[in-house]
Amino acid sequence: MKHRIWLVLGLITLGLLAGCASSGPERDINDPTNSLVFGYVDMDDAPTSVSSAWIMQVAPPSDTPYWGLGISKGLFYNSYLPPGSYQLSKLGGSGFFAGQHEYSFPRQGNQTALRISKPGIYFLGSYKYKKVKSGMFSQAKFAIEKINKPTEAELLKRILDESSDIKDSAWGNKIRARLAQLKS
Amino acid sequence: MIPRRLKLARVRLAASLLLLGALSACVGAAREPVDSLSGLGGDETVVVGRIELVPPLRKDEQKLKGLNSGSFENKVFLLADEHYRVLTDEPGMGDYAGRIEAILGKNFFVRSNSKPFFILGGMMYLDLGGQETNRAYFPGGLKVSLKPGDKAVYVGTVQYHRNEFFEITKAAIVDDYDRTNAEFRKKFGTKTPLRKALLTPVK
Repeated sequence: MKHRIWLVLGLITLGLLAGCASSGPERDINDPTNSLVFGYVDMDDAPTSVSSAWIMQVAPPSDTPYWGLGISKGLFYNSYLPPGSYQLSKLGGSGFFAGQHEYSFPRQGNQTALRISKPGIYFLGSYKYKKVKSGMFSQAKFAIEKINKPTEAELLKRILDESSDIKDSAWGNKIRARLAQLKS
Repeated sequence: MIPRRLKLARVRLAASLLLLGALSACVGAAREPVDSLSGLGGDETVVVGRIELVPPLRKDEQKLKGLNSGSFENKVFLLADEHYRVLTDEPGMGDYAGRIEAILGKNFFVRSNSKPFFILGGMMYLDLGGQETNRAYFPGGLKVSLKPGDKAVYVGTVQYHRNEFFEITKAAIVDDYDRTNAEFRKKFGTKTPLRKALLTPVK
């Protein structure tokens, strides 16, 4: 009986971990053509927090354009994106009362649009969820508003602290170098 | 940007389709496509033109699902009005009355009264009928210079240039009169001339 309980707990833990890790197409974390893309979204005013996030590759065209992002308390990141153009596509989350939600970003006029021409570290910015009033019969809408905090440096420190995979990879030194650059 | 409860996705999809149907019924009529000049009233004109996207839409770039969604394929809704105004927000249902429904890369031939009017902007569905609805908008600010007595007027090809994020980087009016006139004559005969009056930006 005890084993069954552990199995259930194990599966729940596995599920939670899977929710925190990136998904979608994957590449070797030490591939020299990789870029680290990260950002933050404050979902305090949203119906749910965020447990999944996707960035869409809009160029070059791809049959598998959606790349999963790792998520940790508003921080989102992917450490193995190849050169191309990207924008945030979807956030997802669930709450006990709110149920499951998906927050879809527009394909035109998306303020998180990013062009990666050479491998590096790219900060998409920090944002705050904002509800937008819509009519009684309209679908609920939202916007994201750029905020100053957390800063790029604060988020990079969090990535080093929270992801041993990244810390122990080629990214560890690159992030530390970027932090030194931001400090000077 | 639209949050959704996945649990209710099916119910919402059905509601969206119903709403889409209701919207189709509520939105004012589009300018009617013309197949023959014989039905044209004395104060009516056939407006001829074309919309192009540069680079063109890729296969599967427009994601349309559900009943009747195919009718939105490659289609740009050009918002048109006799009274010029600048659209500052998402267009409302009323803004779609008198629209021109243009298939990308194909000439449109639509019935209009002979009064000048303005293209206020355009809209195309990028995602429809699935879990999300996504639209692309096109800039307007163009005048269609019709004159009383006009029977058929060519307004040009509007080329909307876009980048990979679907931002419109340039709008150009291209004169493709010869090719269009050949199609016009084949379709309607040679009796009625096609007058050229290219779209002009509103100052």
